[in-house]
Amino acid sequence: MRGDVKRQLLLLAVALLLLLAGMLAYQQQKTVELRVGVFAGSNWDVPDGDSYAVVEAAIKRFEAKHPGVKVTYVSGIKKEDYSEWLAEKLLAGEEPDVFVVPGTDFNMYAAMGALQDLSDFGNQDKQFSWDVYYPAALDYGRYDGRAYGLPVTSVPTLMFVNKTLLAREGIAIPGNDWTWQDFLEICRRVTKDTDGDGVLDQFGFYDYDWKLAVVTNGVELFREDGRASYFASSRMEEAVQFLLQLHNAQRGREVTAKDFDMGRVAFRPFTFAEYRTYKPYPWRIKKYSSFEWDCIKLPAGPSGDNVSNLQTMLMGMSAKSGHRELAWLLLKEICYAPESQQLMLTKTQGLPSRRDVVEADTSQALFAANAPGCEEMNLRVVSEVMERAVMQPRFKGYDEAMLRANNELQQVITGIVPFNNSLNKLQKEINAYLQQ
Amino acid sequence: MKVDFEMLKERDRIAGLYRLLSIYNGLVVFLMAGFMSITQEKIIQSMSARSFLETLPIVPLPAGKGFSLSMGSFFVLVLLGHLYRRDTLSDMMRYLVFLAEITACMLLMRSLNLAYDGVVLLVVADLMHRYQGKNQSWLLVGAMFGLYCIANYNLAIFQGHVAPFDAYTSYYKSSVQAILIAVKNGFVSLNIILFVSYLVLLVQSKHQEKERIASLNTQLGEANERLRIYAIEAERMAETRERNRLAREIHDTLGHALTGIAAGLDACLVLVDAAPEAAKKQMAKIRETARRGIVDVRRSVEKLRPDDLEKLPLRHAIARMVAEFAESSNMKIRVIALGWPDNLREDEEEVIYRVVQEGITNANQHGKATEATVTIGTEPGRNYIIIADNGHGCEDVEPGFGLRHMQERLDLLHGRLRYWSDNGFTLEATIPAGTRREENE
Repeated sequence: MRGDVKRQLLLLAVALLLLLAGMLAYQQQKTVELRVGVFAGSNWDVPDGDSYAVVEAAIKRFEAKHPGVKVTYVSGIKKEDYSEWLAEKLLAGEEPDVFVVPGTDFNMYAAMGALQDLSDFGNQDKQFSWDVYYPAALDYGRYDGRAYGLPVTSVPTLMFVNKTLLAREGIAIPGNDWTWQDFLEICRRVTKDTDGDGVLDQFGFYDYDWKLAVVTNGVELFREDGRASYFASSRMEEAVQFLLQLHNAQRGREVTAKDFDMGRVAFRPFTFAEYRTYKPYPWRIKKYSSFEWDCIKLPAGPSGDNVSNLQTMLMGMSAKSGHRELAWLLLKEICYAPESQQLMLTKTQGLPSRRDVVEADTSQALFAANAPGCEEMNLRVVSEVMERAVMQPRFKGYDEAMLRANNELQQVITGIVPFNNSLNKLQKEINAYLQQ
Repeated sequence: MKVDFEMLKERDRIAGLYRLLSIYNGLVVFLMAGFMSITQEKIIQSMSARSFLETLPIVPLPAGKGFSLSMGSFFVLVLLGHLYRRDTLSDMMRYLVFLAEITACMLLMRSLNLAYDGVVLLVVADLMHRYQGKNQSWLLVGAMFGLYCIANYNLAIFQGHVAPFDAYTSYYKSSVQAILIAVKNGFVSLNIILFVSYLVLLVQSKHQEKERIASLNTQLGEANERLRIYAIEAERMAETRERNRLAREIHDTLGHALTGIAAGLDACLVLVDAAPEAAKKQMAKIRETARRGIVDVRRSVEKLRPDDLEKLPLRHAIARMVAEFAESSNMKIRVIALGWPDNLREDEEEVIYRVVQEGITNANQHGKATEATVTIGTEPGRNYIIIADNGHGCEDVEPGFGLRHMQERLDLLHGRLRYWSDNGFTLEATIPAGTRREENE
């Protein structure tokens, strides 16, 4: 009997050892393959011809530095399908080692533990520094105080100005230090019926919403832990009052994208990517060809500044990657290497997320050469905007809370619900949601 | 025999139920793991992975991996349970195995996304199997409590870290969902029913075993009592037999002599006046008879007295025998003990005693020796006796009755006898030692 047990134990041990040895041998036999997950097209919903250029260049450099490592990616996944594609791969356990994390999925994947915490990699890597990134861009890839994604490229929001329209009205183009009051006044002045048919056909703005007002008035909407909101603060009140006035300036007419395209609108918030796409040839012919336009900073609120929000494209590492060290190096090659970052200027519609790259003299020259028509855009001014860009809060219920607030506030701004006590009510509602 | 047979049948029934419990749990694990894996695959194929992931707190294991992990940890659990039930395991090993079993159980529950906790009952069943009696009841209560805590802790710790079962069912239509949940609850209930029946059967069997042991104990006590009575009776019978022997001895010797003397004296009374000479002759005969009677009585008494060997340890018996012999024969005899064999059987002691007795008698009678040395010693594997005298010995030893008798006695013990003449006569007897222990083994 005793011998029997011993023999069984021995057999078990031998089987385990064999399995282990087999696995090791299998691992060694294979050349290391790293997979990258990227989508086709621009992250900023603008046309983009050469979407894999940056990644391909980075892969080339990486493979040259690390012989024996093969980096692959699946091409042809459209941006709108990418989120589902990534989820399927994650569910099947076949996610790439390094992949683009869609902004809407970042919180979810970071909370699920699907993303590798990069804080320690970054802290221990002597050739890496967190400080070169714009704070807002870096913050975009943080969850619960830890870094789960590295910024690849960012775009700030600027204000599109219809120069032709303003010139026609005899209004000077506002400077980069203009305020809400300037904005409001111009809007009031340009909103009119030009052809005398009794219908308004020229407007001040299109698409400017309360979220931008919040950003430019320095409103802090949520407590850091995401358990309470400050919708009833005085700055928020200023922002909503301002939007009510703006809305009244349009005199109840709903402005559409068509009005804007026809050149009948003076201002429209524009992302840098849109500017970068539509300003140079050939898009400049196709769109907005009937008027001269340019971009300036957003107007500052009474308690705020000429700042902007910053949208950032993130890349992360799979928490289950079998080659984390290599994956980190690859991630660095794509998101951190100055060569990669500079390529953002020439090959994509976004901007580098590294401050030093944006502000480099060579960058301005490269940018000017690759984007004819954008010569007037000073990258240093853009860098200023990005540097002071407002960080988006990162907590689990953020998207849902903002959606709820948007529904309420739209009703207040359009005058359906009276302003009186609405912000207090909203704050109570949102707090109740956040604390459940 | 009948009791044994019933016990075996009972044990078979318990083992069968346990096997059923194991197989049932295996089936449930297979179905649950299979269901979740297939659902996961279906979700991927129907392109709803993103919205599925949104409802989960973690990314679940890939379908194939999750399924094999579940089945693998279940088989490890069953194997460990099997090992744990083995009687040959040392206590330390058993605790280790049990710990490993709990670990496997936790792993299994986790890999099943905590959707099925029935396997905990399988571990409890193993624990109960080992339950021995009162002194272990605290241990058992402690272990049960621990298991309960582990199961709950497992739930509490991992709750936020597994994909809930509901997330899988919500992929299906609500009518199907209801059926799935009902089936799952059915699985849990049936498992509890099986477990409880197992427990009842086990407790019942333990109880019956206890009763059987109690009844066997009474039987044993009764048998003991009977044996004691037999012993007393046997003693009494031996006493009676001894008394009879004494009576017979007295009758045969003293009675015979006294009868003869009485008859002779009667004849003397008749003859004493008529023929005084004849009476004298007759009286001489009577005296002879009386003397013979005395000798007979002495011999009888001698025969009734126990042998030295019976009442003394071998060592003292030999010493006394040698001393007595030396005194009566005027021989000088030395006894050298180079080591006393211990653990001797009675027959071995007897042989050694007789060899010495015979040896010195021979030295006196045949060798006419005046001095003799008796050496007794032990060596690994054997005991030996050497008797050397200074008599005249003989060139050709013609084994007489004495030597042959000695040889026969030694043969019975696989011993050996050697003798030779040089300065006198030397006799060496060896007896293999350690036979007793071997026989006992």
